[in-house]
Amino acid sequence: MVRNEVVWRRLVFVVLIIASLAILTVSFRESESGPVHAVQQAGLSLLSPLQSWGARAAEPFQDGYGWIRTLWSAHQEVERLAAELQELQGEAVKLKEQAEENQRLKSLLDLRDKATFPEGTDFEVARVTGKSPTRWEAWIQIDKGSADGIRVDQPVVGATPTAGESLAGKGLVGKVTAVTAHSAQVQLITDSESSVAAKIQGPRAEGIVEGSVSGTLTMDFVDRDIPDVEPKLVVVTSGFGGIYPPAIPIGIVAEVGEEDVNIYKKIEVQAFVDFRVLEEVMVLILPGA
Amino acid sequence: MGRRRLIVVGKVLLLLVIAVALQTLIVSRVSVLGVTADLFLIFTVVVAMGRGSMEGAIFGFFAGLIADVAFFQPLGVRALIYVLAGYFVGMFVARFGMMTPWGVLFLAGGTSFVAQFVFGLFQYIMGPQADFLTMVGTQMLPEAILDALIAVPVYALLVRLRVIRAPGVSPATGRSGAE
Repeated sequence: MVRNEVVWRRLVFVVLIIASLAILTVSFRESESGPVHAVQQAGLSLLSPLQSWGARAAEPFQDGYGWIRTLWSAHQEVERLAAELQELQGEAVKLKEQAEENQRLKSLLDLRDKATFPEGTDFEVARVTGKSPTRWEAWIQIDKGSADGIRVDQPVVGATPTAGESLAGKGLVGKVTAVTAHSAQVQLITDSESSVAAKIQGPRAEGIVEGSVSGTLTMDFVDRDIPDVEPKLVVVTSGFGGIYPPAIPIGIVAEVGEEDVNIYKKIEVQAFVDFRVLEEVMVLILPGA
Repeated sequence: MGRRRLIVVGKVLLLLVIAVALQTLIVSRVSVLGVTADLFLIFTVVVAMGRGSMEGAIFGFFAGLIADVAFFQPLGVRALIYVLAGYFVGMFVARFGMMTPWGVLFLAGGTSFVAQFVFGLFQYIMGPQADFLTMVGTQMLPEAILDALIAVPVYALLVRLRVIRAPGVSPATGRSGAE
Protein backbone atom coordinates (compact mmCIF):
# COMPACT_ATOMS: atom_id res chain seq x y z
CA MET A 1 0.00 0.00 0.00
CA VAL A 2 2.76 2.40 1.06
CA ARG A 3 4.88 1.17 -1.84
CA ASN A 4 2.04 1.93 -4.30
CA GLU A 5 1.63 5.39 -2.83
CA VAL A 6 5.32 6.13 -3.29
CA VAL A 7 5.29 4.90 -6.90
CA TRP A 8 2.15 6.91 -7.62
CA ARG A 9 3.69 10.06 -6.11
CA ARG A 10 6.86 9.70 -8.16
CA LEU A 11 4.84 9.05 -11.30
CA VAL A 12 2.83 12.24 -10.80
CA PHE A 13 6.04 14.19 -10.18
CA VAL A 14 7.66 12.87 -13.37
CA VAL A 15 4.50 13.57 -15.40
CA LEU A 16 4.38 17.17 -14.10
CA ILE A 17 8.06 17.72 -14.90
CA ILE A 18 7.58 16.35 -18.43
CA ALA A 19 4.44 18.47 -18.88
CA SER A 20 6.29 21.62 -17.75
CA LEU A 21 9.22 20.93 -20.06
CA ALA A 22 6.88 20.15 -22.95
CA ILE A 23 4.93 23.39 -22.47
CA LEU A 24 8.18 25.34 -22.12
CA THR A 25 9.62 23.80 -25.27
CA VAL A 26 6.49 24.41 -27.31
CA SER A 27 6.28 27.95 -25.90
CA PHE A 28 9.76 28.72 -27.24
CA ARG A 29 9.55 26.89 -30.53
CA GLU A 30 6.11 27.86 -31.79
CA SER A 31 5.27 31.17 -33.45
CA GLU A 32 3.51 34.05 -31.67
CA SER A 33 0.20 32.77 -33.06
CA GLY A 34 0.70 29.21 -31.79
CA PRO A 35 -1.66 27.43 -29.39
CA VAL A 36 0.42 27.92 -26.21
CA HIS A 37 0.76 31.64 -26.88
CA ALA A 38 -2.98 31.74 -27.61
CA VAL A 39 -3.67 30.15 -24.21
CA GLN A 40 -1.34 32.65 -22.56
CA GLN A 41 -3.02 35.56 -24.36
CA ALA A 42 -6.42 34.27 -23.27
CA GLY A 43 -5.18 33.97 -19.68
CA LEU A 44 -3.83 37.50 -19.80
CA SER A 45 -7.12 38.76 -21.17
CA LEU A 46 -8.82 37.18 -18.17
CA LEU A 47 -6.34 38.61 -15.68
CA SER A 48 -5.95 42.11 -17.11
CA PRO A 49 -9.43 43.37 -16.09
CA LEU A 50 -8.69 42.09 -12.59
CA GLN A 51 -5.37 43.94 -12.54
CA SER A 52 -6.94 47.05 -14.00
CA TRP A 53 -9.65 47.00 -11.37
CA GLY A 54 -7.02 46.34 -8.70
CA ALA A 55 -5.00 49.32 -9.86
CA ARG A 56 -8.02 51.60 -9.54
CA ALA A 57 -9.09 50.13 -6.20
CA ALA A 58 -5.58 50.37 -4.75
CA GLU A 59 -5.04 54.00 -5.72
CA PRO A 60 -6.77 55.60 -2.70
CA PHE A 61 -4.99 53.19 -0.36
CA GLN A 62 -1.61 53.88 -1.95
CA ASP A 63 -2.25 57.57 -1.77
CA GLY A 64 -3.32 57.22 1.85
CA TYR A 65 -0.17 55.25 2.59
CA GLY A 66 1.96 57.89 0.88
CA TRP A 67 0.15 60.63 2.75
CA ILE A 68 0.76 59.00 6.13
CA ARG A 69 4.41 58.34 5.32
CA THR A 70 5.29 61.82 4.08
CA LEU A 71 3.39 63.68 6.74
CA TRP A 72 4.44 61.49 9.64
CA SER A 73 7.01 63.90 11.05
CA ALA A 74 4.71 66.89 10.66
CA HIS A 75 1.91 64.86 12.15
CA GLN A 76 3.86 64.47 15.38
CA GLU A 77 4.59 68.21 15.62
CA VAL A 78 1.02 69.27 15.12
CA GLU A 79 -0.58 66.65 17.29
CA ARG A 80 -3.45 68.87 18.28
CA LEU A 81 -4.60 68.86 14.67
CA ALA A 82 -4.64 65.09 14.48
CA ALA A 83 -8.32 64.69 15.25
CA GLU A 84 -9.31 67.23 12.66
CA LEU A 85 -6.96 65.70 10.13
CA GLN A 86 -8.47 62.28 10.79
CA GLU A 87 -11.91 63.63 9.90
CA LEU A 88 -10.67 65.34 6.78
CA GLN A 89 -8.35 62.56 5.71
CA GLY A 90 -10.85 60.67 3.62
CA GLU A 91 -11.91 63.78 1.74
CA ALA A 92 -8.34 65.04 1.41
CA VAL A 93 -7.10 61.75 0.03
CA LYS A 94 -9.81 61.78 -2.60
CA LEU A 95 -9.19 65.40 -3.61
CA LYS A 96 -5.41 64.98 -3.59
CA GLU A 97 -5.71 61.90 -5.75
CA GLN A 98 -7.82 63.80 -8.27
CA ALA A 99 -5.43 66.76 -8.25
CA GLU A 100 -2.39 64.53 -8.75
CA GLU A 101 -4.10 62.65 -11.53
CA ASN A 102 -4.95 65.97 -13.20
CA GLN A 103 -1.35 67.10 -12.80
CA ARG A 104 -0.03 63.88 -14.33
CA LEU A 105 -2.42 64.08 -17.25
CA LYS A 106 -1.56 67.75 -17.71
CA SER A 107 2.11 66.79 -17.81
CA LEU A 108 1.36 64.24 -20.50
CA LEU A 109 -0.52 66.86 -22.52
CA ASP A 110 2.37 69.25 -21.97
CA LEU A 111 4.78 66.63 -23.30
CA ARG A 112 2.54 66.07 -26.30
CA ASP A 113 2.46 69.79 -27.07
CA LYS A 114 6.12 70.64 -26.41
CA ALA A 115 7.95 67.62 -27.78
CA THR A 116 8.22 67.31 -31.55
CA PHE A 117 6.41 64.19 -32.64
CA PRO A 118 5.85 63.35 -36.32
CA GLU A 119 2.85 65.10 -37.82
CA GLY A 120 -0.31 63.04 -37.64
CA THR A 121 0.78 61.13 -34.52
CA ASP A 122 -2.13 59.95 -32.37
CA PHE A 123 -1.78 59.63 -28.61
CA GLU A 124 -3.42 56.98 -26.43
CA VAL A 125 -3.24 57.67 -22.70
CA ALA A 126 -3.07 54.46 -20.64
CA ARG A 127 -2.96 53.62 -16.97
CA VAL A 128 -0.14 51.47 -15.58
CA THR A 129 -1.71 48.34 -14.10
CA GLY A 130 1.31 46.16 -13.36
CA LYS A 131 5.07 46.05 -13.19
CA SER A 132 7.74 43.39 -13.69
CA PRO A 133 8.07 41.33 -10.52
CA THR A 134 11.86 40.95 -10.66
CA ARG A 135 14.86 43.11 -11.50
CA TRP A 136 15.83 40.76 -14.32
CA GLU A 137 13.34 42.54 -16.55
CA ALA A 138 11.92 46.05 -16.61
CA TRP A 139 8.42 46.30 -18.03
CA ILE A 140 5.03 47.70 -17.17
CA GLN A 141 1.56 46.54 -18.05
CA ILE A 142 -0.98 49.09 -19.29
CA ASP A 143 -4.76 48.97 -19.53
CA LYS A 144 -5.01 49.65 -23.26
CA GLY A 145 -4.67 47.00 -25.95
CA SER A 146 -5.31 46.16 -29.56
CA ALA A 147 -8.94 47.27 -29.20
CA ASP A 148 -7.61 50.79 -28.58
CA GLY A 149 -5.24 50.74 -31.54
CA ILE A 150 -2.17 49.61 -29.61
CA ARG A 151 0.32 47.52 -31.59
CA VAL A 152 3.67 45.93 -30.90
CA ASP A 153 6.72 48.25 -31.28
CA GLN A 154 4.77 51.47 -30.75
CA PRO A 155 6.81 53.96 -28.69
CA VAL A 156 5.60 54.95 -25.23
CA VAL A 157 6.28 58.24 -23.43
CA GLY A 158 5.41 59.35 -19.93
CA ALA A 159 5.56 62.02 -17.30
CA THR A 160 6.30 61.66 -13.62
CA PRO A 161 5.51 63.97 -10.68
CA THR A 162 8.88 65.76 -10.88
CA ALA A 163 7.70 67.19 -14.20
CA GLY A 164 7.29 70.94 -14.23
CA GLU A 165 6.77 73.28 -17.14
CA SER A 166 10.07 72.21 -18.73
CA LEU A 167 10.62 68.77 -20.20
CA ALA A 168 12.26 67.51 -17.01
CA GLY A 169 10.36 64.50 -15.77
CA LYS A 170 8.83 63.88 -19.16
CA GLY A 171 10.28 61.64 -21.81
CA LEU A 172 10.69 58.25 -23.39
CA VAL A 173 9.39 55.28 -21.43
CA GLY A 174 9.87 52.37 -23.84
CA LYS A 175 8.04 50.43 -26.48
CA VAL A 176 5.09 48.04 -26.65
CA THR A 177 6.29 44.42 -26.77
CA ALA A 178 3.08 42.40 -26.34
CA VAL A 179 -0.58 43.20 -26.83
CA THR A 180 -3.88 41.61 -25.86
CA ALA A 181 -7.32 43.06 -26.56
CA HIS A 182 -7.39 45.27 -23.47
CA SER A 183 -3.85 45.31 -22.13
CA ALA A 184 -0.29 45.60 -23.34
CA GLN A 185 3.21 45.04 -22.08
CA VAL A 186 5.69 47.90 -22.41
CA GLN A 187 9.41 47.20 -22.27
CA LEU A 188 11.08 50.07 -20.39
CA ILE A 189 14.24 51.66 -21.77
CA THR A 190 15.96 50.53 -18.56
CA ASP A 191 15.39 46.86 -19.48
CA SER A 192 18.69 45.10 -20.14
CA GLU A 193 17.40 44.01 -23.55
CA SER A 194 16.43 47.56 -24.57
CA SER A 195 18.51 49.68 -26.95
CA VAL A 196 17.51 53.07 -28.33
CA ALA A 197 19.29 54.97 -31.10
CA ALA A 198 20.02 58.38 -29.57
CA LYS A 199 22.00 61.57 -29.94
CA ILE A 200 23.25 64.24 -27.60
CA GLN A 201 21.96 67.74 -28.23
CA GLY A 202 24.77 70.22 -28.78
CA PRO A 203 27.67 68.13 -30.06
CA ARG A 204 25.10 65.96 -31.95
CA ALA A 205 27.03 62.85 -30.93
CA GLU A 206 25.17 59.68 -31.85
CA GLY A 207 25.10 56.40 -29.98
CA ILE A 208 22.91 53.72 -28.49
CA VAL A 209 21.20 54.10 -25.11
CA GLU A 210 21.08 50.73 -23.40
CA GLY A 211 19.37 49.59 -20.22
CA SER A 212 20.77 47.25 -17.62
CA VAL A 213 19.59 44.91 -14.87
CA SER A 214 20.68 47.50 -12.29
CA GLY A 215 18.28 50.04 -13.87
CA THR A 216 20.95 52.45 -15.10
CA LEU A 217 21.06 53.83 -18.65
CA THR A 218 24.30 53.84 -20.61
CA MET A 219 24.93 55.52 -23.94
CA ASP A 220 27.45 53.48 -25.87
CA PHE A 221 29.12 53.70 -29.28
CA VAL A 222 29.75 57.45 -29.01
CA ASP A 223 32.97 58.24 -30.83
CA ARG A 224 35.78 59.26 -28.48
CA ASP A 225 36.92 61.99 -30.84
CA ILE A 226 33.70 63.99 -30.58
CA PRO A 227 34.46 66.99 -28.34
CA ASP A 228 32.27 68.86 -25.86
CA VAL A 229 30.28 65.87 -24.62
CA GLU A 230 29.66 67.01 -21.08
CA PRO A 231 27.29 66.34 -18.20
CA LYS A 232 23.88 68.07 -18.24
CA LEU A 233 23.50 67.85 -22.01
CA VAL A 234 20.16 66.49 -23.17
CA VAL A 235 19.93 63.06 -24.83
CA VAL A 236 17.12 62.54 -27.36
CA THR A 237 16.13 59.77 -29.75
CA SER A 238 17.87 59.98 -33.12
CA GLY A 239 15.13 58.19 -35.05
CA PHE A 240 17.57 55.79 -36.68
CA GLY A 241 16.29 52.60 -35.05
CA GLY A 242 13.03 52.65 -36.98
CA ILE A 243 10.87 52.31 -33.87
CA TYR A 244 11.29 55.59 -32.02
CA PRO A 245 10.74 58.85 -33.93
CA PRO A 246 13.48 61.47 -33.58
CA ALA A 247 13.73 64.14 -30.86
CA ILE A 248 11.91 62.38 -28.04
CA PRO A 249 13.71 63.41 -24.84
CA ILE A 250 15.35 60.49 -23.01
CA GLY A 251 17.42 62.09 -20.26
CA ILE A 252 20.56 64.06 -19.52
CA VAL A 253 24.22 63.11 -19.59
CA ALA A 254 25.16 62.28 -16.00
CA GLU A 255 28.75 61.17 -16.44
CA VAL A 256 31.20 60.83 -19.32
CA GLY A 257 33.87 58.15 -19.15
CA GLU A 258 36.72 57.24 -21.44
CA GLU A 259 38.99 54.22 -21.35
CA ASP A 260 42.31 53.91 -23.14
CA VAL A 261 41.33 50.54 -24.60
CA ASN A 262 37.91 51.63 -25.82
CA ILE A 263 37.35 53.64 -29.01
CA TYR A 264 33.98 54.82 -27.69
CA LYS A 265 33.01 57.04 -24.82
CA LYS A 266 31.01 55.43 -22.03
CA ILE A 267 28.23 57.83 -21.07
CA GLU A 268 25.89 57.38 -18.15
CA VAL A 269 22.44 58.84 -18.82
CA GLN A 270 19.98 59.96 -16.17
CA ALA A 271 16.47 59.29 -17.51
CA PHE A 272 13.95 62.14 -17.37
CA VAL A 273 11.21 59.76 -16.32
CA ASP A 274 11.23 58.27 -12.84
CA PHE A 275 10.08 54.74 -13.68
CA ARG A 276 9.38 53.86 -10.04
CA VAL A 277 6.41 56.22 -9.82
CA LEU A 278 4.98 55.92 -13.30
CA GLU A 279 1.17 55.79 -13.20
CA GLU A 280 0.02 56.94 -16.63
CA VAL A 281 1.77 56.77 -19.98
CA MET A 282 1.04 57.83 -23.53
CA VAL A 283 1.39 55.40 -26.44
CA LEU A 284 2.38 57.08 -29.71
CA ILE A 285 0.35 55.81 -32.64
CA LEU A 286 2.55 56.98 -35.48
CA PRO A 287 1.05 57.84 -38.88
CA GLY A 288 1.14 54.92 -41.29
CA ALA A 289 1.87 52.44 -38.50
CA MET B 1 -13.34 10.18 -5.67
CA GLY B 2 -14.47 10.24 -2.04
CA ARG B 3 -16.19 13.16 -0.41
CA ARG B 4 -13.15 13.88 1.76
CA ARG B 5 -10.93 13.96 -1.33
CA LEU B 6 -13.33 16.34 -3.11
CA ILE B 7 -13.26 18.71 -0.16
CA VAL B 8 -9.45 18.71 -0.20
CA VAL B 9 -9.36 19.43 -3.95
CA GLY B 10 -11.94 22.20 -3.48
CA LYS B 11 -9.90 23.81 -0.71
CA VAL B 12 -6.71 23.70 -2.77
CA LEU B 13 -8.51 25.15 -5.81
CA LEU B 14 -9.90 27.92 -3.62
CA LEU B 15 -6.38 28.56 -2.39
CA LEU B 16 -5.20 28.93 -5.98
CA VAL B 17 -7.96 31.44 -6.74
CA ILE B 18 -7.09 33.39 -3.58
CA ALA B 19 -3.41 33.38 -4.58
CA VAL B 20 -4.27 34.80 -8.02
CA ALA B 21 -6.54 37.46 -6.55
CA LEU B 22 -4.13 38.56 -3.82
CA GLN B 23 -1.08 38.55 -6.10
CA THR B 24 -2.70 40.54 -8.91
CA LEU B 25 -4.77 42.89 -6.76
CA ILE B 26 -2.49 43.67 -3.85
CA VAL B 27 0.90 41.98 -3.59
CA SER B 28 2.21 42.93 -7.04
CA ARG B 29 1.53 46.58 -6.21
CA VAL B 30 3.40 46.57 -2.91
CA SER B 31 7.17 46.77 -3.08
CA VAL B 32 9.25 46.05 0.04
CA LEU B 33 13.06 46.33 -0.06
CA GLY B 34 12.67 46.94 -3.79
CA VAL B 35 11.04 43.57 -4.47
CA THR B 36 7.53 42.13 -4.46
CA ALA B 37 6.56 38.90 -2.74
CA ASP B 38 5.66 35.84 -4.79
CA LEU B 39 2.43 34.47 -3.33
CA PHE B 40 2.27 31.69 -5.90
CA LEU B 41 5.54 30.27 -4.57
CA ILE B 42 4.61 30.92 -0.94
CA PHE B 43 1.31 29.07 -1.34
CA THR B 44 3.08 26.22 -3.16
CA VAL B 45 5.54 25.86 -0.27
CA VAL B 46 2.77 26.06 2.31
CA VAL B 47 0.61 23.48 0.49
CA ALA B 48 3.62 21.17 0.17
CA MET B 49 4.34 21.55 3.89
CA GLY B 50 0.77 20.84 4.87
CA ARG B 51 -0.39 18.31 2.30
CA GLY B 52 2.72 16.55 1.06
CA SER B 53 4.98 16.37 -1.95
CA MET B 54 2.45 15.20 -4.54
CA GLU B 55 -0.13 17.85 -3.71
CA GLY B 56 2.65 20.43 -3.47
CA ALA B 57 3.93 19.51 -6.93
CA ILE B 58 0.45 19.56 -8.49
CA PHE B 59 -0.38 22.88 -6.84
CA GLY B 60 3.01 24.23 -7.92
CA PHE B 61 2.40 23.19 -11.52
CA PHE B 62 -0.89 25.08 -11.82
CA ALA B 63 0.29 28.03 -9.70
CA GLY B 64 3.39 28.23 -11.91
CA LEU B 65 1.35 28.25 -15.10
CA ILE B 66 -0.83 31.08 -13.77
CA ALA B 67 2.28 32.96 -12.59
CA ASP B 68 3.80 32.60 -16.07
CA VAL B 69 0.67 34.17 -17.54
CA ALA B 70 0.48 36.93 -14.94
CA PHE B 71 4.21 37.77 -15.13
CA PHE B 72 4.51 37.61 -18.95
CA GLN B 73 6.98 34.71 -18.78
CA PRO B 74 7.30 31.97 -21.40
CA LEU B 75 4.70 29.40 -20.33
CA GLY B 76 6.25 26.56 -18.33
CA VAL B 77 9.23 28.30 -16.68
CA ARG B 78 7.72 28.92 -13.28
CA ALA B 79 5.56 25.79 -13.60
CA LEU B 80 8.74 23.71 -13.74
CA ILE B 81 10.39 25.56 -10.86
CA TYR B 82 7.30 25.40 -8.63
CA VAL B 83 6.76 21.68 -9.35
CA LEU B 84 10.30 21.05 -8.13
CA ALA B 85 9.79 23.38 -5.16
CA GLY B 86 6.49 21.75 -4.16
CA TYR B 87 7.81 18.23 -4.51
CA PHE B 88 11.07 18.69 -2.63
CA VAL B 89 9.54 20.81 0.16
CA GLY B 90 6.93 18.08 0.65
CA MET B 91 9.64 15.42 0.73
CA PHE B 92 11.74 17.45 3.15
CA VAL B 93 8.87 18.03 5.55
CA ALA B 94 7.78 14.39 5.38
CA ARG B 95 11.28 13.27 6.24
CA PHE B 96 12.32 15.81 8.87
CA GLY B 97 9.10 17.50 10.04
CA MET B 98 8.64 21.28 10.02
CA MET B 99 6.31 22.22 12.82
CA THR B 100 7.96 25.31 14.31
CA PRO B 101 7.56 28.85 12.98
CA TRP B 102 11.35 29.04 12.59
CA GLY B 103 11.29 25.88 10.50
CA VAL B 104 8.59 27.33 8.24
CA LEU B 105 10.52 30.60 8.01
CA PHE B 106 13.80 29.00 6.98
CA LEU B 107 12.27 26.43 4.66
CA ALA B 108 10.16 29.06 2.86
CA GLY B 109 13.08 31.47 2.67
CA GLY B 110 15.47 28.78 1.46
CA THR B 111 13.01 27.53 -1.14
CA SER B 112 12.38 31.07 -2.38
CA PHE B 113 16.12 31.68 -2.66
CA VAL B 114 16.76 28.44 -4.56
CA ALA B 115 13.72 29.03 -6.81
CA GLN B 116 14.97 32.52 -7.64
CA PHE B 117 18.45 31.17 -8.26
CA VAL B 118 17.07 28.68 -10.79
CA PHE B 119 14.87 31.40 -12.31
CA GLY B 120 17.91 33.70 -12.45
CA LEU B 121 19.91 30.96 -14.15
CA PHE B 122 17.16 30.67 -16.73
CA GLN B 123 17.15 34.44 -17.25
CA TYR B 124 20.93 34.43 -17.55
CA ILE B 125 20.79 31.74 -20.23
CA MET B 126 17.99 33.51 -22.11
CA GLY B 127 19.50 37.01 -22.24
CA PRO B 128 19.67 39.50 -19.35
CA GLN B 129 23.09 39.28 -17.74
CA ALA B 130 23.96 40.68 -14.37
CA ASP B 131 26.56 40.43 -11.68
CA PHE B 132 25.65 37.41 -9.52
CA LEU B 133 26.40 39.06 -6.18
CA THR B 134 24.44 42.18 -7.17
CA MET B 135 21.39 40.06 -7.97
CA VAL B 136 21.80 38.12 -4.72
CA GLY B 137 21.84 41.39 -2.78
CA THR B 138 19.14 43.27 -4.62
CA GLN B 139 16.73 40.54 -5.72
CA MET B 140 17.24 37.03 -4.38
CA LEU B 141 17.97 37.73 -0.72
CA PRO B 142 15.35 40.49 -0.16
CA GLU B 143 12.64 38.43 -1.85
CA ALA B 144 13.64 35.28 0.03
CA ILE B 145 13.36 37.21 3.31
CA LEU B 146 10.04 38.77 2.29
CA ASP B 147 8.61 35.43 1.12
CA ALA B 148 9.78 33.76 4.35
CA LEU B 149 8.19 36.44 6.54
CA ILE B 150 4.89 36.17 4.69
CA ALA B 151 4.94 32.35 4.63
CA VAL B 152 4.84 32.05 8.44
CA PRO B 153 1.49 33.83 9.05
CA VAL B 154 0.04 32.31 5.85
CA TYR B 155 1.00 28.83 7.08
CA ALA B 156 -0.35 29.47 10.57
CA LEU B 157 -3.61 30.88 9.18
CA LEU B 158 -4.19 27.98 6.80
CA VAL B 159 -3.48 25.42 9.52
CA ARG B 160 -5.86 27.28 11.86
CA LEU B 161 -8.54 27.35 9.14
CA ARG B 162 -7.85 23.64 8.51
CA VAL B 163 -7.18 24.26 4.85
CA ILE B 164 -3.95 22.37 5.37
CA ARG B 165 -2.89 20.13 8.20
CA ALA B 166 0.20 20.36 10.36
CA PRO B 167 2.98 18.27 8.79
CA GLY B 168 3.61 14.72 9.98
CA VAL B 169 -0.07 13.98 10.50
CA SER B 170 -2.13 12.10 7.95
CA PRO B 171 -5.83 12.01 8.94
CA ALA B 172 -6.49 8.94 6.80
CA THR B 173 -3.51 6.74 7.58
CA GLY B 174 -1.66 8.42 10.40
CA ARG B 175 1.53 8.06 8.39
CA SER B 176 3.97 10.85 7.72
CA GLY B 177 4.16 10.21 4.01
CA ALA B 178 7.94 9.94 3.99
CA GLU B 179 9.40 7.67 1.31
